[in-house]
Amino acid sequence: VTGSDNQLKDRVAVAGVATTGFTPHNTDRSAASLAAEACTAVLRGCGLRPRDIDGVCGSIPSAPAVQTMLGLPEVTWFANPPVPFGNHVVAAASAIRSGLCDVVLCYHVSYRMAWNTASALRDPFRRPFGAGGAGAAGPETIAGAAAYAAWASRYLHEYGAPREHLGYVALNGRANALRNPVAAMRTPLSMDDYLQARMIREPLCLLDMDVPVDGADAFVLTSVERARDLPHPPVLVHAATLGIASDHEEDQMRSLSRTGQHVVIDALRARSDLWIDDVDVYFPYDGFTIITLAWLEATGWCGRGEAGAFLEQHWDANEGRALINRRIPMNPHGGALSEGATQGSGQVREAVMQLQGFAGDRQVPRARVALITAGGFFTNAQGILLRRE
Amino acid sequence: VDVSDEEALLARFPRTPIDRDTASHYRARLARRLVLDRCGACGRWHHPPAPICPECWSNDVQPTPVTGKGSIHLLTLLHQGPPAPGVDYAQPYAVVTVELDEQPALRFTSTVLGSASTDLRIGQRVELDWIERDGAPLPVFRLTGEPAA
Repeated sequence: VTGSDNQLKDRVAVAGVATTGFTPHNTDRSAASLAAEACTAVLRGCGLRPRDIDGVCGSIPSAPAVQTMLGLPEVTWFANPPVPFGNHVVAAASAIRSGLCDVVLCYHVSYRMAWNTASALRDPFRRPFGAGGAGAAGPETIAGAAAYAAWASRYLHEYGAPREHLGYVALNGRANALRNPVAAMRTPLSMDDYLQARMIREPLCLLDMDVPVDGADAFVLTSVERARDLPHPPVLVHAATLGIASDHEEDQMRSLSRTGQHVVIDALRARSDLWIDDVDVYFPYDGFTIITLAWLEATGWCGRGEAGAFLEQHWDANEGRALINRRIPMNPHGGALSEGATQGSGQVREAVMQLQGFAGDRQVPRARVALITAGGFFTNAQGILLRRE
Repeated sequence: VDVSDEEALLARFPRTPIDRDTASHYRARLARRLVLDRCGACGRWHHPPAPICPECWSNDVQPTPVTGKGSIHLLTLLHQGPPAPGVDYAQPYAVVTVELDEQPALRFTSTVLGSASTDLRIGQRVELDWIERDGAPLPVFRLTGEPAA
């Protein structure tokens, strides 16, 4: 891995964030209306006008659709990278740093899709988003979401881990979501609740899987110099990377000990002056609980197979959540499991809010460095280190 | 090129996207043979099908039968899932990734029939069998009863 000369380091900033909040049922809104609400809120909050924006980068709707919906007169760079949202941060930061544009509006809409909830399938206005998924070729595949259940069973087999180790991740997310007014899931959760939850793809139950939601996040990224002139404290992109290892088809991946997550960690360390001893708040991806255990191990918080024991050791019984070294929360907004399935945009938003000091009841005192390790094992692992200036 | 033959192949697998790199695999299925890609130059197997050997970049990719013997490497039990004939999820339905004996980490994913899914374990030895699904043969596995790997 190269990258000790990190041209991106501390040159691009997140100037502001906004969110609609998240609901775990079908709203009567379009995906575009959710994008519009979050995007106008972030631009107003940053004091930016349409003509100030020359870059657009998001998931759905398309960047050109968002541009015209918001009446942004001239855009010189736009992109719709695949989720998770680390892709969007990396693309926008690269575009700004290389001079393709100056101020990028980034957005992600989470929209309950016909392919992953039965109630969305019954909503005629959501059918255009597809009812396909992995089912088209029958159940005998681990392509897509089933891969995480298959590799979770491998993990439990290799390390003799009990399901409770996965359960800690779900409990941590829920305890954190109780403090987050925009979170979708805000009823307390016990380990008994977890162990009795409906099994979906054994060994993963309903509570091992993130919650489909309606909602949107939006962000403004720009140069550090420009961000200093805007109202909120700039949050600097210190280092960022994507990571893929070869043999990344779901059933051909060699082992849990060399995945895209390990590529991310090696690259991020090489490009960064900061590492986990410097981190004040940590955002491991939690689209499935197994992904969080794997990130804890890949990042080096603990050794292979030790993530469950690590969470037990760092569990704050009073607060019902993990506090690493008694101070570092994991996904203090509730994560994808309990705030809602935002494909990483919620983690980036909460990281920025924590570093700006705008996290309300969830605020980590004097938070200056946030680590985001997004995505899973196969083709979508991502890492971002953010720091307050 | 015999277009009618290609049309006939696609007609037998109407829900499966098939292209020039995967056609040999599906043609072999119709004869109940499990065929995976093997490099004619260096001998390495790869799956899913690809037009070039990822080890040596040879274009001499040979669709080659495998024995179908191997060990369960990954296992998930579906308590719900996509509709399929003969699959009702009243009992959890096993999806297994089998590590084939031909080469470490050469794997093929299907199900295990003939045993209660809840009795399946990672490491158990399996062998290939075939059932009919939507008018075409589907490769599946059965436990052999050999000691687990």
